[in-house]
Amino acid sequence: MQVFIAQIINGLSLGSIYVLLVTGFNLLLLVAMIIHFSYPQVVVFSMYIVWIVLNATGNNLILGIAAGVLSSIALNVLCAPLFQKVMKNRGDVDINATMVLSMAIGMIITDVLSHAFNKGLPIAFPEALTGSKPFLRIGLISIMPGQVWSLLMGIIAVGCFFLLLYKTRAGRAFRAIAEDPAGARLVGIPLIKTGFQSYALSGVLGGIIAVLLAMLLHSASPGLGEQISHKVLAVSIVAGLGNLVGGLVIGLALGILEALVQGYASGSWSNAIAFVVMLVVILVKPKGLFGIKV
Amino acid sequence: MAQNESNTASGASPLLSVSDLAVSYGQIKALKGVSIEVFPKEIVVLIGANGAGKTTLLSTILGLNTPVSGTVTFEGKRIDKLPADKNVRSGVCLVPEGRGVFASMSVLDNLLLGAHHNLQNKDKNLARVYDWFPILKKRKDQIAKTLSGGERQMLAIARALMSAPKLIMVDEPSIGLAPIVVNDIFNILMMLNKEGYTILLSEQNAFKALKCAHRGYVLETGTVSIAGTAERLLSDPGVKAAYLGA
Repeated sequence: MQVFIAQIINGLSLGSIYVLLVTGFNLLLLVAMIIHFSYPQVVVFSMYIVWIVLNATGNNLILGIAAGVLSSIALNVLCAPLFQKVMKNRGDVDINATMVLSMAIGMIITDVLSHAFNKGLPIAFPEALTGSKPFLRIGLISIMPGQVWSLLMGIIAVGCFFLLLYKTRAGRAFRAIAEDPAGARLVGIPLIKTGFQSYALSGVLGGIIAVLLAMLLHSASPGLGEQISHKVLAVSIVAGLGNLVGGLVIGLALGILEALVQGYASGSWSNAIAFVVMLVVILVKPKGLFGIKV
Repeated sequence: MAQNESNTASGASPLLSVSDLAVSYGQIKALKGVSIEVFPKEIVVLIGANGAGKTTLLSTILGLNTPVSGTVTFEGKRIDKLPADKNVRSGVCLVPEGRGVFASMSVLDNLLLGAHHNLQNKDKNLARVYDWFPILKKRKDQIAKTLSGGERQMLAIARALMSAPKLIMVDEPSIGLAPIVVNDIFNILMMLNKEGYTILLSEQNAFKALKCAHRGYVLETGTVSIAGTAERLLSDPGVKAAYLGA
């Protein structure tokens, strides 16, 4: 029973990271109308920025976190004109072309990380960020600070995101574009400018994710982004592409599934088992469990 | 041509003036040099069959298409190179064909989307719109797809009003609606005109539209074939034969 509880806690904290990633991915899909397959690579890049700034400033947490969030916003916003140019050149919005661009961005980031930083070896985050001792320990259950933070920040960030989506002018414009881009243009919503806001917002989310991932995993490697990006795309499709609520549920479910596999079977099989389960779901429900929203 | 025949035009300068407008979709020429004018406080109707270019004309005025040649002038300023959001800001709006509202969003959200550039006056405008369309107030928290066809058309018109428009373009409001509801919609448009709104309407239901309009243009395959006052068009033998079923 203790193993079960411990793994559920592990799963929820990992799952809340997946939820944030899928939310950022879906936001770009719905509002900027791109498939940013490599969104997690951008997040991992920001993890490296956090690591560099922490090393350079003698573990100044505020500077490290700020640098992570700012670099994520900057990278997302800098990519925006590229995506928008590709979309314009195709006459109308062509989502497949944006996927190729996203893959290119991901490849470049992965290569830069493996050549320019720490000789391509995995980086380890200092205890100043990750915390050295458990937040709470009861028998086999030990909860690390990173887990508490990722669950807590996951709830807060998703809560704020939905508030913004349903209670603000920008959020209303986001939903209008997500439902009907042509209709949104007709009522006078500027598609490019509003799309730009969604890049910035997914940048903010990405920066938060980068810090939480660093706290949760204690380390990062150049290949981490690619590994996560497969899962994020899979979660989004299994939930129903662009379905925000679906992404929330399936993101958490994937985290819990992986943690349970790690707790009761061999941890090294958790990826394979998670993908087999998702494969079965997609065979039974090709439009995802919650339905496509694009 | 139409300029000389317009009796409401005397002295005033046009609110909207479209001159020799040509629009193509690839090889297909949708508009081949269309000129129309709309004066303040008029109801002007565009009559024409499917494919005559009515929707293309309205969406080009709004800024959704880039014309090949010709100009669109609104309040004395060229707007044909401006994007739709800029034109909505300056007071042009379009109520789309097929009651295009955001079906999965609430009635209130739809109205607020209309006020995207005019949120500072939203309370005043909401009160006014609810006054004219009490049914929308009653249904304000309902999802738009639960509305009836007529209610949706009202919502689309009300949404346009939230942007504080100077020119309301309405694309085929009667299409797919029951006759009694069509009467309601035309009554609403006439009421709005009495309130001072200028309306440019496209319609296949030529008789009803001409009954409530001041002037009209007949569009045929991308050009204006006949123009004149509503009374003149109603008695024109060509219009009668082609559009009034007489």
